[in-house]
Amino acid sequence: MTHEATQITSPPKSSEILLHLGPQHPLQPGPFLLDLKIEGETIREAELKIGYIHKGMEKVFEDRTYIQILPLTDRICYLASNSNNDVYCRGIEELLGIEPTERAKYLRVLTNELCRIQSHLLGIGEYTTDVGFLTMFIYMVREREGVVSLLEAITGSRLNHNYARFGGVAHDLPPGYKEMALKTLGELKKLVKSHDEMLSSDSIYLRRTKGVGVLTTKVASELGVAGPPLRASGVNYDLRRIEPYLVYDELDFNVITQTDGDVFSRVKVRLLEILESIYIIEQCLDQMPSGPYKQDVMPYITRPKPGEVYSRIEDPRGEMGMYIISDGSDKPYRFRIRGPAFATAQALPPLLIGTYVADVAAIAASMDSCTSEVDR
Amino acid sequence: MTDEQAAKEMLDDIKKIIEPSKTDKTIMVELSKTFENAVFDVAVPSPNRAVARVDPGKVKPIMQFLLDNGFDHLSCISGVDYPPDRMDVVYHVTSYSGPLVITLKASIPRDDPNIDSICDIYWNANWYERETYELYGIKFNDCPYLKVLLLVEEMEGEWPLRKDYAGYPNPT
Repeated sequence: MTHEATQITSPPKSSEILLHLGPQHPLQPGPFLLDLKIEGETIREAELKIGYIHKGMEKVFEDRTYIQILPLTDRICYLASNSNNDVYCRGIEELLGIEPTERAKYLRVLTNELCRIQSHLLGIGEYTTDVGFLTMFIYMVREREGVVSLLEAITGSRLNHNYARFGGVAHDLPPGYKEMALKTLGELKKLVKSHDEMLSSDSIYLRRTKGVGVLTTKVASELGVAGPPLRASGVNYDLRRIEPYLVYDELDFNVITQTDGDVFSRVKVRLLEILESIYIIEQCLDQMPSGPYKQDVMPYITRPKPGEVYSRIEDPRGEMGMYIISDGSDKPYRFRIRGPAFATAQALPPLLIGTYVADVAAIAASMDSCTSEVDR
Repeated sequence: MTDEQAAKEMLDDIKKIIEPSKTDKTIMVELSKTFENAVFDVAVPSPNRAVARVDPGKVKPIMQFLLDNGFDHLSCISGVDYPPDRMDVVYHVTSYSGPLVITLKASIPRDDPNIDSICDIYWNANWYERETYELYGIKFNDCPYLKVLLLVEEMEGEWPLRKDYAGYPNPT
């Protein structure tokens, strides 16, 4: 893949039009500008311009104490807020040389998987609206409510959970949680299966998505695409399996892959991952040991010894990494956020070249991007 | 793509499955053997992490060596500012088949920060280099389209993530 594919290299000829898609458009939550040079219905060149909601988080974090950063990591991406808390806490735990308690590890896995389910549900919902399937969006939001309520029951908030702490978590499970969770997730499982059936059998939907926006295995890994789009192209890359953190090595689950690499398989991967996450949660609820859920004593001001850490997690969109350099003070010297949506967004322009304007919405939305995290 | 090319690609893929590449720590030994004077301070702080310092002039051949040895995924590129005299460019390289993350650091002088671009080795280095350029002012030689990515165009030349940055508009 050449780098010319990411840019509009020359002004449009008389047979071509420059089409600005954005920065405000209904395609995705969050502003970005997609410039397309089109000839008739075909896209010749594409360029993605980001930075409309750049918040300078890396700079902000250098000026905050470690505990002050914790709630801010939620705001990197509200759909993945729990995994962002977790990856940050694991990084600091490694710097401090402490381990979370056994129960806290299970609680973090539990909330991470709930987080993945609600993110995938909303991702699929938004995507189906973009391909003209509004009914499915309503269904997905309805299903998501139950999962968000399950998260709220543990963490106390519906979106920015701020749940993990250094060496533990903020709250224990409320009484009667297991029954509540199993009831909601049992219903969800049935509904997701029926939605999957509906999406796999609707002939109009299939013609709209099968063979559209194909990423081959080689190209997907070369472009550095992350998460479900990567696995939909047949790359068996899931950090839960490759680098088992927390208690993932004690749990049984499959890494979902598809081989086609088109829009249809990306959504299929997300649907099947929801079922797999439900299975993980059921195991967590069964196996969770009793015991303390947080450290006995944890000082308010944290001063890790000088050093650095690169901790990563499989968040709903792929590999989320945080590179933290400590100089021994109560604030990080350098804080680098490596987001999966940033990596995936970079691969969008080359993927659009040669496709039709009508397919842009389907392809872009199937990537399930999050502009807040791309811009940080 | 012709049938011949497709067949060749498939053969390469099969070869990869039959002979899994070495994506474990032995790569660090080989790396320091191959680039004797360019790789130093090799350390293995935890089971899945390896750290080394590299000569900034040799970044390209080192990256090519890693790519050829199965490290086919560039996680990210970051800049770190150490006033008054140096800046670091930090590369995190890993692979799709193993957990090892190699952190390579290249120190460059702060008054003239420039380093070779690795865009033609790892395709996705492009945006990471652009981001490091706009935030730190580190020039990546031969990077295609080295211009601002996240910031507005007026802020090119501000280098906001440097430690001595005093706010916009920059009084210095």
